[in-house]
Amino acid sequence: MRLKRCAQGISLLVILLSACALILDDPAILLAGSTLLAGLFGLWYSFDRRFRQAVASIRVTRSLERAVVRTGTTLRVTTAITMQVPSHLQVTVSEILPAGVVVQDGETAASSGTSSSPETFRLAYRITPLVHGTMHFSGITLVVQDYFFENSIVLSAEPFRGPALSVQPRGLFEPSGRGLTAETREIEKMALLSGLGVRAMREYYAGDDLRRIDWKLTAKHNKLFIREYAGVVNLPPLIVVDLPWRGASCPAEAFERMVAAVAGMVEHSTKMHQYSTVLLVSGPNILHFLIEEKDLQRSISALREWMHPVERTAHFYRMADRSDLRSRVRALEIQSGRTQDPSTQKFLGSVKKQYLRSLGAHQTHAFNAQVARTLIPLTVDEVYVFSLVAGDASHLVQLIRQAKAMKLRVHVRIPQLPDLVSSTLSPGRLGADTVEAFA
Amino acid sequence: MNLPVRKDGGFFLLLAAGVLIFTGAAQPPLWYLYLLLLALPGIVLYVTRTWNDRMFYILCAGQPLVIALSAVQVWAGLFSVWMLGAIVLAALGMLEPGDDLLTYAAFCGATLVIAAGIDASGHVLLPLLIIGGLTAVFAMVFTVREYRFRKQYAGAPP
Repeated sequence: MRLKRCAQGISLLVILLSACALILDDPAILLAGSTLLAGLFGLWYSFDRRFRQAVASIRVTRSLERAVVRTGTTLRVTTAITMQVPSHLQVTVSEILPAGVVVQDGETAASSGTSSSPETFRLAYRITPLVHGTMHFSGITLVVQDYFFENSIVLSAEPFRGPALSVQPRGLFEPSGRGLTAETREIEKMALLSGLGVRAMREYYAGDDLRRIDWKLTAKHNKLFIREYAGVVNLPPLIVVDLPWRGASCPAEAFERMVAAVAGMVEHSTKMHQYSTVLLVSGPNILHFLIEEKDLQRSISALREWMHPVERTAHFYRMADRSDLRSRVRALEIQSGRTQDPSTQKFLGSVKKQYLRSLGAHQTHAFNAQVARTLIPLTVDEVYVFSLVAGDASHLVQLIRQAKAMKLRVHVRIPQLPDLVSSTLSPGRLGADTVEAFA
Repeated sequence: MNLPVRKDGGFFLLLAAGVLIFTGAAQPPLWYLYLLLLALPGIVLYVTRTWNDRMFYILCAGQPLVIALSAVQVWAGLFSVWMLGAIVLAALGMLEPGDDLLTYAAFCGATLVIAAGIDASGHVLLPLLIIGGLTAVFAMVFTVREYRFRKQYAGAPP
């Protein structure tokens, strides 16, 4: 129990009066001091009694969105704390979170007023486990205060604990030998509307449109040949949002503009194409995938839930993939061939050896595999990537490469940062078709 | 029941009436001093009526009156202590029927015993030692109770 300022002042007054009474041998002063002390003890007793009543009335119900998750998965936790708040007390309850989790958003603490009533505190928040293992929600912390005293207690007995969250490990790299390519993706297919491009040629069958006969080929082979035109479909783009890391500083104004731009594109996609597809990532972590959502309100509420700086489970730092390493080796070989200086050649050789060693031990990051698995079943031809580019952009390069491997057009939207646009985030460096600033 | 004055103001009026009766009955030579000392908590009570931490100021302002009255008559001083306690509790809204009133009654009883002890002793040292000893015992009892309470609810570490 802690004395608050008012009680500290009264205690000081008691000490001063007692000292004066002793020095002056005056019972009147002693009466004043001792009655103040008795009053302080009375208030203490009253506070303690109400504190115990409050603690004894607490009931905790906690539910997890899922009981078993993988490392880095975000899940919702809902806790209802019902208690009788004694009169004249202010109560604050807060969750004791397991070690190794970060709170992405929501409230983990709540306070009451000073009115005496049964009150239910509802805490809803989302957590992301960063380590694997069994995690226990070990209870709540209760802080009770009035004008004179403050007391807190950690309630970690059985009724306040649980449930346990089982967190399964997730590897950073993909097992070797696993195919990641998107060769099976169907790019060209039949459609109601025909485009201008010729998809294939075939022999004429009875009933074919005579306007589609290719006369040159017919004359060459002396057989009727038909042009099959490519189908025209109006595909909505895949919207990829790269959320900033909570630990990095990002300008709030730029973030708000990004949120507005993403919301606008989602709205446009839903109106024009009847659905929108949004992939939310933060660094090399896939957070949420909103696949072909037809309901605009649900899309917007999902964005509202996720669009904020988040904690990242994994980080890239200038991550080079296999093709990067190979191109660097080639560049070193060219440079080594040009120079005549033996010491420079020796140095370049040692650097090349390092690169080759890295290449030998190189593993595919799980993020690349996840992106590939996410993109394969989608029917899109364009990808819009929204990012604040706060920090390393290696994950964007990897993502764009995966998209380009599937012959998708990639447009990167970033805040207006002229120096970055001219250097590291040029379309060529990123591999994107366009890099533009969002409005 | 709706009173024409706030509860704390009502207890102050009771205190004022008591002081006036005392000065009228005892007719001390410096009778105006008691009226001046009575005015002090009245002014503080009025000035701090919107403050959150006014209890400390009210108690401080009331102590000179308690000492002055006790110097002449211990029971008059005790009456002023009871009224000051009632003013503070009423200002806090902690003087409702039930547990609050019982706590206040316990306070009145305890201060009655203290005043009787001090009055009987006539000196400071012995009552001060007894009060100090009782304070230590109470603090120890409260500490043990709190330890047992925490042990009951904190549970074993997971």
